[in-house]
Amino acid sequence: MKNPELFDHLPDPELGQALRAALERSDDSAFVARVMASYDRALEQATVPTWEVLASWFRPGVAAAIVALIAGFLFGRVVLSGGDTASIDMAMAPAEGSGGGGGLTALVTAPDPPDASVVFTSLVESR
Amino acid sequence: MERYAAQARRVARAVLGDPDDADDAAQDGFLSALVKLAQYDSRRPFGPWLMRIVANAATDRRRRRNVRRAEPLDPSLVGGGPRPDAAAVQSELGDRLRAALAELPERRRTAVVLFDVEGYSHAEIAGILGIPEGTVRSEVFHGRRRLRALLEDWKEQEK
Repeated sequence: MKNPELFDHLPDPELGQALRAALERSDDSAFVARVMASYDRALEQATVPTWEVLASWFRPGVAAAIVALIAGFLFGRVVLSGGDTASIDMAMAPAEGSGGGGGLTALVTAPDPPDASVVFTSLVESR
Repeated sequence: MERYAAQARRVARAVLGDPDDADDAAQDGFLSALVKLAQYDSRRPFGPWLMRIVANAATDRRRRRNVRRAEPLDPSLVGGGPRPDAAAVQSELGDRLRAALAELPERRRTAVVLFDVEGYSHAEIAGILGIPEGTVRSEVFHGRRRLRALLEDWKEQEK
C-alpha cells in the first residue's frame, strides 16, 4: 500500500479492492431485472389506455346527450303544436335582446326555409 | 445497464451506507437516466454522466431519510448488521471499512470510492460531484488517509 501521507494522483489498488469488497452487493442481474420491471411499470402508468379515455368521456357525453334530447323534444313539441307564437316569443326573447323585433321568431316559425340574407340581417339586428 | 449496475450500487452505498437504501437510490438514478437519455451528449463518456445522476439520487434519498429520522445514524450500525437475506457473513474488514466510510463526510467518501474503487479521474469526479478539481484532490487525500490507516491497523492485527 502507498504511503498514507503521499498526495498521489493514481488510484490505490489495495485500498480500492478492500473498499470494493466492502461495498459490493451480490446479484446484479436481479437488481437490473428489478430496475427494468420498475421502468416498464412507469411506462404503463404514463400511457393511458384508450378505453380509459373513452370511459372518462362517457358520463359527460351521456349527460350532454340527455340535455340535448330534452331540449330538442321540448322545442319540437312547441313548433309542432301549431304555432303557439306566444311561447316561442318567450323562448326566443333572450336571444333577440331588448331592442330586437320579431325577426328570429318569424324565422323559426316560417314554414319555408329562409333566405340567407334574411337570416344574416336578423342576426345583425339582434345584436 | 448491466455494465454499470455494480458501480452504481457501490457509489450509492458509499453515499448512503445502508445497502437497501443504496439499491433504491441506484434504481432511482437508473430510471432518471433512462428518462433523461435524450439529454446525454454522446461525445462525452457515459460513466461520469450516469454516476452524477446516481450520486444525486443517493444524496436526495439521504436528505429525505435524514428528515424522516431527524437524528444521525450511528456509524457502527451502518451496513445493517446481519440480515435474514444475507447468507454470507460480512467480513470484519468490510464492517470496519463501512464504519470508517460512514464517519467521513459524504462528499469525501464518495470522492474516495469514485477514485480508488471506480477509477474515475479527479476531473471526472469534479464533474460528477459538481465541485472544483482541487477540492476533489483534497477530499480524496483526506479520505484515503483515514481509510489507509484503518487498513494498516487491520493488516497488523492479522499478522
